[in-house]
Amino acid sequence: MLAGLLLPLSAGAAMSRGFNRLLEAVVRIDVREIEFQNGAKRFTGGIGSGVIISADGLVLTNAHVVSPQAVEISVTLANLERVGASLVGWDHWTDLALLRLDTAALKARGLGFSAASFGDSSELFAGQTVYAVGTPHGLTRTVTRGIISNHNRYFEDSGGVNGHETGSFNTWLQTDAAINPGNSGGPLVTEEGKVIGINSRAYIGAENLGFAIPADVARRVAAALVKDGAITRSYVGIVPGVLQDLERFYALASNTGMLINRVDPGSPAAKAGLRAGDVLLTIDGRKVDGRFPEQLPAIQQTIASLPVGAKVALEVKRGTQTIAFTVQTEKLESRVGEEWAFEKWGLSVREVTRAYARENQLVDESGLIVLGAQPGYPAAEAGLARGDIITKVGSEPITELARLKKVYEAYEAKPEPQLVEAQRNRRISLYVIKP
Amino acid sequence: MRIVRLIALFFAPAAFAVHAATLPELFTERLKSVVAVEFFVQAEIERQPVTVMGTVVDAQGTIILPPAAIMPGIPPAQLKDFKVYRPGSIESTNAEYLGQDAFTGWHFLRVEEKLRASLVPITAYTAIAGDLLLSDELWGIGLRNRDEDFMPYFLSARVATVMKLPQKTAILGSDVASPGLPVFTAAGHFAGLAQSSFGQNFLLFSRNQHATPILLINVEESSVVLLADEVLPNLGRVPQSVTGRPIAWFGAYGLQPMDPEVAKLLKLENQSGVVLSDIMEGSPAAAAGLRERDIVLAVEGQPLPRLKPDRVIVGYFGQQILKHRPGEPLALTILRGTERQEISVLLGDEPKLAREADRAYLERLGLTVREFLYNDGIMQRAKPTEQIGVMVQFVKPGSPVATAGLRTDDWVREIDGEEIKTYGQALAKLRAIEADEKRPEFVLLVSRAGETAVLRIKLI
Repeated sequence: MLAGLLLPLSAGAAMSRGFNRLLEAVVRIDVREIEFQNGAKRFTGGIGSGVIISADGLVLTNAHVVSPQAVEISVTLANLERVGASLVGWDHWTDLALLRLDTAALKARGLGFSAASFGDSSELFAGQTVYAVGTPHGLTRTVTRGIISNHNRYFEDSGGVNGHETGSFNTWLQTDAAINPGNSGGPLVTEEGKVIGINSRAYIGAENLGFAIPADVARRVAAALVKDGAITRSYVGIVPGVLQDLERFYALASNTGMLINRVDPGSPAAKAGLRAGDVLLTIDGRKVDGRFPEQLPAIQQTIASLPVGAKVALEVKRGTQTIAFTVQTEKLESRVGEEWAFEKWGLSVREVTRAYARENQLVDESGLIVLGAQPGYPAAEAGLARGDIITKVGSEPITELARLKKVYEAYEAKPEPQLVEAQRNRRISLYVIKP
Repeated sequence: MRIVRLIALFFAPAAFAVHAATLPELFTERLKSVVAVEFFVQAEIERQPVTVMGTVVDAQGTIILPPAAIMPGIPPAQLKDFKVYRPGSIESTNAEYLGQDAFTGWHFLRVEEKLRASLVPITAYTAIAGDLLLSDELWGIGLRNRDEDFMPYFLSARVATVMKLPQKTAILGSDVASPGLPVFTAAGHFAGLAQSSFGQNFLLFSRNQHATPILLINVEESSVVLLADEVLPNLGRVPQSVTGRPIAWFGAYGLQPMDPEVAKLLKLENQSGVVLSDIMEGSPAAAAGLRERDIVLAVEGQPLPRLKPDRVIVGYFGQQILKHRPGEPLALTILRGTERQEISVLLGDEPKLAREADRAYLERLGLTVREFLYNDGIMQRAKPTEQIGVMVQFVKPGSPVATAGLRTDDWVREIDGEEIKTYGQALAKLRAIEADEKRPEFVLLVSRAGETAVLRIKLI
């Protein structure tokens, strides 16, 4: 009786201090970034949220709020003062980005802020009360309340962060606290004001289905971004599938193994001889259990956290045989390559990456994908269109962006017709870009 | 000269007598050359009735239907109950499907004896001499639908332009006949055959929205006419077999027209070209040493003509190949890099087509499997010369395989963990699974657009 009476009292007391402190650490983020769509370089703007996590002004937000294409980041503190910030690093796989406030400017203007502290997201339980804090639709410092709906949600999306892959290496917190556009990057907190997640996404058109990156992941990623500015992961090229209900078919003990649904062509796993339909039993001798979708990110993370270039022993069941493979990891790449616009041609492009080439069954990773051609400009007049892959200009093979930049520089100095070779669905066409 | 003129004068009154036939008389007479054709396509779980118009081409009751009458890939065994109706009649006569000619694309039918006497082939009429001229007036026949007893009606229009697409084709100012039916001059001379009509751009206005551009295609009438001298020489191309074989095979993929600006830059003015994007493995083109990116400039010593729109040249090149028979050589002049080369390709026999492929419908499982063809290998970017797996040709909605997520055009690589090498092996395995009524499930490894997935199919 006494405890029951005391508990809400203590929680309420904690809320007044910890929670208020948290509110002082939540910021609004206004971003201006470059976009290379439709054959031009354009600036677009967006609003998101963030949370200050250190006394030296580090701000955690979403990768889909601030990306490396951001050219101007402006942070509005809890006291409504605005200050600039710079990008420390981003990681679209976990949808996290880390900013640093312009502390010199803060000091000069005599402005202060407070930093939030992390809670332990592994101790969350379904039904626990949580709060989302942020800037939904530009409404600064909005607090919404809900519960943890699920603390271990599998939610992979191959193009979730502005076309970049996300969610392969972590599960998410699901909450019914209202999360709207603009909440992105803001914290999900406990009643004590501890950050247990970074709000990231919600089902559009659904009621109260919001998702946050768990604090344990955010903490680890933030630390790595401070250290290196980026997260390096390893890749072997296996795409997992769920083994649920297939154990009997594969004659496996339950809670054993992970189904390999696909092996990327040309990947280290493919080269080593792994095949779709194999069941992965162990990674470097450690048993694997991929019975349910929620278990897949952890297995993927095991492979991703290996050093790049390391040799990893994979034991696989194929039919009645158990086969051991050694696979050398390579660096994980996004399918989205670097983008650029050649404005006089009205042409914007993106580099073909190894991942894109494999996904689209291209012969190799050379070439530039046309993102857009502005009507009336030379590239569009020549006939180039979105989706073409430029492989050659004149006699110069366009293996990477730098090559075309060089050709373009020469063109700017002395505009002359350029013979362009491009592919679409393996059909090769020739075009002429004329001044 | 004097004699020729004299003869012309002498015969003039007779010719005048023929010309004197009125249009309604000519119309009634020419109706004997046109028919309506009904048939249906018997698919796994449904029947698709089709009505098309055809033209009588000889005294043996041979009828040609336009290329679009039958979707490509449909096996002849699924085409059922061909029935021929004369305009305005409800009496039908059975006909036999003879196959599709690869060169013209026409489908050939032969109607039963009893109707033949009342038909007149279009070869019975004089054909126009020389080319049609701008503003020439033509008339043709339209046929209504079955509920109006295929009632014939009169259409007429003037020639707006004549183009090579790549065949000589007249475009008229308005619709002149039902697709597949003949078109005549005022004198009753055979001028050509109406083709599928071209799309026309319109703007669609609605109350709430701004104008939306739409493309309309008239399927009942057409203003596009393939000229008589492109039609008549090919009327004898009655397929030797229902598969349409023999069909000559070249073996390049992704033929693209050379852009005129590119031609200019390569100093090939007034010349057209076809870029060979990919050379198929094991094909005649590969055996002749052709390589991807080669540009074909001439066939049999004749430079490829400049045709408009640019794409037409690809069709022209395709026809140059199909004019030949398998085993015949095709001499090409190509541009490789900056160098011209002469290459002779010994044409082969077209690899098995989808419509010829072995297939079987497994009703309880809910799918049709089809043997893996050379062309599937090309599409799946596999080694086309190797046989692996089978293709899913059809998935029955609501069936066990549909529930498990199998889709049409999936490529089945393994069945119950066993790698599939041949169609026979796949069919035997699937039949055994289907026959075993106690079996709770089976497993497929399928490939879809380069992605593979393991599908578990629950049977009970």
